[in-house]
Amino acid sequence: MQNVATASVQSEPQFAALVDALAADPNRREQLTELLREDHLLYDQRGSATTVRMRGWVLLALARAGVSDAALLFVLEELDTGVDAYLVAAAARALRSYPSPNAAFAPFVMRALTNIRYHDELVSFEGYGEYAISSTGTSPVRELLATLAWLGPHARGALREVESLRAQRGGLSKKLLIDVDRAVEAIRDADQVDEPGTDTCCTLPSGLSNTFSWALSSRRGSEPIESTVFEDHEGASITFKEFFRGHPSIVVFFYTRCDNALKCSLTVTKLARVQKLLEARGLADQIHTAAITYDPAFDLPARIRGYGQNRGVRMDDRHRMLRTTDGVNALRRHFKLGVNFIESLVNRHRIEAYILDAEGRIAACFERMHWDEQQVVDRTIEVLQEKSDETTSEVSPGPADCPARHKTKTVSPIFGTLASLGVAFFPKCPICWAGYLSVFSIAGLNQIPYSPWLQPMLVAVMLINLASVWLRGRLTGRMSGFYLVSAGAFAIVLLNMGLGWENAAVWGVALTLAGSLMSALSGKNASQVVE
Amino acid sequence: MSTKKKAAKTSKSARKPKGGAMRSTRAAMSVATSARSTVKERVAAMAEAPLAVCESDKDLQAMLNVLRNKEEPVEVRLAAMDSLATAAFSVIKFESCRNDYIATLREVAQDPDPKIRESALGLLAGEKDGFAQKKLLEGLQNREKALVPPEKALQLLSYDVHAEAYSVARDIVEKPPNADAKREALRLLAADATSAPLFEKLLRDKDELREIRQISASALHGLNPGKLQRHAREMLLDNSEYDDIQATCLTALTQFGDDEAVGKDEALLKSVDRFSAGKTSSKYKQSARRFLSKYGR
Amino acid sequence: MNVELQINNSISPSARFVTWAPSPCRIRVTNPSGATAPIVNVQITGVSVASGGAVVFRGNTTGAFSNSLTVPVPINGTSVPFFVAGRFGRPSVNNGDVRIEARNGTTLVGSVSVMVRVRKNAEALTPGERDRFVAAFAQLNNQGAGRFADFRSMHTNVSSPQAHGAPGFLPWHRAYLLDLERELQAIDPSVALPYWRFDQPAPKLFTLDFFGVSGPNGTIQFSNTNPLQFWVTDGVQGINRGPRNNWNPATQPGPTVITEAQTLLLGTQYPAFSGMEGNPHGTAHTRWNGFIRQIGTAAKDPLFFLLHCNVDRLWAKWQRQNGRFDPAHAASFDSNPGNPIGHNLVDTMWPWNGITGGTRPPTAPGGAMASSPCVSAPGPQPRVRSSLDYQGSVNALSREGFDYDDVRFA
Repeated sequence: MQNVATASVQSEPQFAALVDALAADPNRREQLTELLREDHLLYDQRGSATTVRMRGWVLLALARAGVSDAALLFVLEELDTGVDAYLVAAAARALRSYPSPNAAFAPFVMRALTNIRYHDELVSFEGYGEYAISSTGTSPVRELLATLAWLGPHARGALREVESLRAQRGGLSKKLLIDVDRAVEAIRDADQVDEPGTDTCCTLPSGLSNTFSWALSSRRGSEPIESTVFEDHEGASITFKEFFRGHPSIVVFFYTRCDNALKCSLTVTKLARVQKLLEARGLADQIHTAAITYDPAFDLPARIRGYGQNRGVRMDDRHRMLRTTDGVNALRRHFKLGVNFIESLVNRHRIEAYILDAEGRIAACFERMHWDEQQVVDRTIEVLQEKSDETTSEVSPGPADCPARHKTKTVSPIFGTLASLGVAFFPKCPICWAGYLSVFSIAGLNQIPYSPWLQPMLVAVMLINLASVWLRGRLTGRMSGFYLVSAGAFAIVLLNMGLGWENAAVWGVALTLAGSLMSALSGKNASQVVE
Repeated sequence: MSTKKKAAKTSKSARKPKGGAMRSTRAAMSVATSARSTVKERVAAMAEAPLAVCESDKDLQAMLNVLRNKEEPVEVRLAAMDSLATAAFSVIKFESCRNDYIATLREVAQDPDPKIRESALGLLAGEKDGFAQKKLLEGLQNREKALVPPEKALQLLSYDVHAEAYSVARDIVEKPPNADAKREALRLLAADATSAPLFEKLLRDKDELREIRQISASALHGLNPGKLQRHAREMLLDNSEYDDIQATCLTALTQFGDDEAVGKDEALLKSVDRFSAGKTSSKYKQSARRFLSKYGR
Repeated sequence: MNVELQINNSISPSARFVTWAPSPCRIRVTNPSGATAPIVNVQITGVSVASGGAVVFRGNTTGAFSNSLTVPVPINGTSVPFFVAGRFGRPSVNNGDVRIEARNGTTLVGSVSVMVRVRKNAEALTPGERDRFVAAFAQLNNQGAGRFADFRSMHTNVSSPQAHGAPGFLPWHRAYLLDLERELQAIDPSVALPYWRFDQPAPKLFTLDFFGVSGPNGTIQFSNTNPLQFWVTDGVQGINRGPRNNWNPATQPGPTVITEAQTLLLGTQYPAFSGMEGNPHGTAHTRWNGFIRQIGTAAKDPLFFLLHCNVDRLWAKWQRQNGRFDPAHAASFDSNPGNPIGHNLVDTMWPWNGITGGTRPPTAPGGAMASSPCVSAPGPQPRVRSSLDYQGSVNALSREGFDYDDVRFA
């Protein structure tokens, strides 16, 4: 959801002013995170360098305002795969404004240091869009070393690596070596040592749940893009439906002109590794793979074939490099791709990999951080093995070395009906209460004292059911269930409780039950995803 | 900007040792940064010990100061830039120098001297530097802010396909300030997938300059090889076409043609046969013969 | 009677390429009819076309070479080893312009055509050699979609610490050139990588038919028949390269580039010699504006490979001059505990080792080192040390199958 008013933002100075305003307003600071989404409208038709300036300014604003869990993902992403000095420096600084250091951050900082150290350059954070043209200013290496110092003992796992920065021939300047020493000292600081066992290496904050999402029973149909036509690496045409239906698939996105080796080149290389893992398990015929280019106009078949070959990608009928020949926007919408463009050229994109089920629906998505090949294969095998009538899922938290998972719950419409029953016939006094519960004396429920707070709670559950039915109706396009449940709620709350019409309670319950059942039975995706 | 020439006073240390041996790094650096040596001596000395800046921060700062100093002769400043660029190849050793180096390049990218500006912007463009790209684009959009000629700006922007230069390049193709700028704009647009129709049009336009048509052929070859093959074929069959562009088409087909399709194309083969026997340069005839022998003629 | 000649211990025509370093060969009788004794004497000689290559022979791993060799060969089919090498100073011009003939008495009993294939000065190439090289290179690029994209990706800012600023600079680039050359030879086996003598004028190299002429804006122009006109890297067409400071590379040596003689005098120990990474190597790069001027873009220009071929030749010459082929000899390399990864003798070299992440770049384009039908070295995952003994001077098995026209074997 793009809450930020974007219509008025045309120029970079206007953008900077917007960011500053958001950062200064505690009630609107959260909107800064939204501005880091690659597909945000504000980045449309911007060049890459412009996009860097804009994103960097947002990161710096977060550094002043404080990084929330939601924003943390973007900060760590930049450290994980960023190659632009300005952005890496800004991300390193922003990380220090997270409420507390965490040992899980250290590998990201060290990775960033490895990626950027030989491309270090001075950057200026003084004003929007400024570049350092003198020897003052900071640099990504400097900021990263400061972040290591901030991490202190939480970076114990990286101590040897940090110390080795000193030992290497050539190496860092004297100024930066002082920063290295400072970091080493902070890491070794015994006074800050936590309780043993409270700080494992990969206990990432729960805000990083968005790196991986898993939706076993709430998958959108692929109808909008089933007729999308692709051309593969041999120039053969094939539709989405023809290639992706009938078996699970692993899909990655890339483009051949991506100049960040940590993104597309590595993603496609990893796809090749995934293919080998599938082959080793004898599943290469049952699970398809595809790499789809963001840049179909330029990435012609020969180009994508060469790109794949040069990265060891297997290419045949079940494993293809693809470009869309029409329907690229539909594809973008369907996958909610994290990408934006200037004309037809990508200006920035995130890492993204998807698992599609046998119906071509998105079953899982890996975003932003580099995904593990084995994990992707394991997840895809689960999709391969799942039963088609599975309706519930509660994904348990994964092992400690995996990102936190996204829990899903489904709310059955039956609860809503029961809630409406409860509201309609709630005892109006303690004596009636006792009378009701005596019916259940065998269950011992008559021992429960009169609880008037139950009624508003049941009303709330009823309203939740109403909202649930509404959402389901929006998804399936069938709103009749919602209308019935609304009528039922009106009858119970206003006519029965408000005006005292007793018959209205029966009608209300009946309408609620009918509407809920109609909603539950209509369409394929009858369950609601609630965080 | 003044370019004061220092008094020519060849000191003992400024003289190169006899016999071709190299003088010490210290000696070379001493000459390089000394205002008492001649321009020629300083330029030569700077080239002798480029890695000295990696070993001593003092030498690094001395070299950067020479580069920044507008009072120094331009040749010496350019030599300092070259020396630093040379040292930059030794990435690991250069690590401690890079920050100040890039910052200084940005500073002198706005120097009063055009050679200094162009040289610095060239190095920054090779790094895909956002500062350089911004300045180059500004200069194309507003001539008063131009730091280098438009053709050079376009060439430097082409180092990075993401450098949002397509729009301004199209404008320049429409209304070129000079022929060089048009050519560079076309080269830049060769990376723009939507420009394929433009290149088709230019390729087939017999009134266009030879070089423009050649650029168009190679651009189309990158954007849509199938279309280039088709046009190449038609142009080879066209007796009224110019020899040189026909030679380009022949080269494209010989190197990258669909062998199976071309081998069966009798009309094309006959046309090339005529070309090889006609009144054209020996080089083009040789190219035609090479083509024909590839297809067994 | 007939005999079979195996060059580089292979009967495959693709193995019939020799250099100055001796190639192991074998001869055996395949058809003994007419033989009058269990062992026959077969005389092996080389027959050259005019201005073609020439070869010499010896019977053992040591000893002098001669223009012919008499080998006693049993008629029972047992093969007998011998060695052939190009005669120094007589490289081939075309594939197969030297024939090795085997005679029993005056009767020709077997022959194969070979090529003495060595890396030459670009200025010394015939038009035919030039055109074949350029065609192969353009084919490797294949409008940006060919295997050349991997070679471009191997030499970027991201990967630069693997190969620059530390002792592994020379070994890494030697392996890099070898890999590229073998890919070119897979397209046209008669091709060898030429070198650009940057300390001399190069009137033939910088022409429209070869490596192009710089236009007024520093964009390279090619003739209409030159396939390099279709050169594409990073999705961008063309080559940017212009000489700086009014230098004309066709008529002048690279200004301030130190000469070959000066380079060879840098020092007899590797640490001193490796300073050539600055000058002449770095200086040769920075005499130009354009791609070749800096690490991140240098490999986009095909001239880069000819520049580095000369750098490698200078190292080879220094090695020959000072006897620096043995990795065990301290002066042959700069071993230091502080050397970064990829710069120690025992280290495998990226990208051929396929190792990614951590201290290595994130991807390893190109895969393993290309193989050769002529030699087994350096293997798919070469180590730094394997680049030193490229001629097999210390260990014949280390021979990598290339030589320079002006660097002897012994």
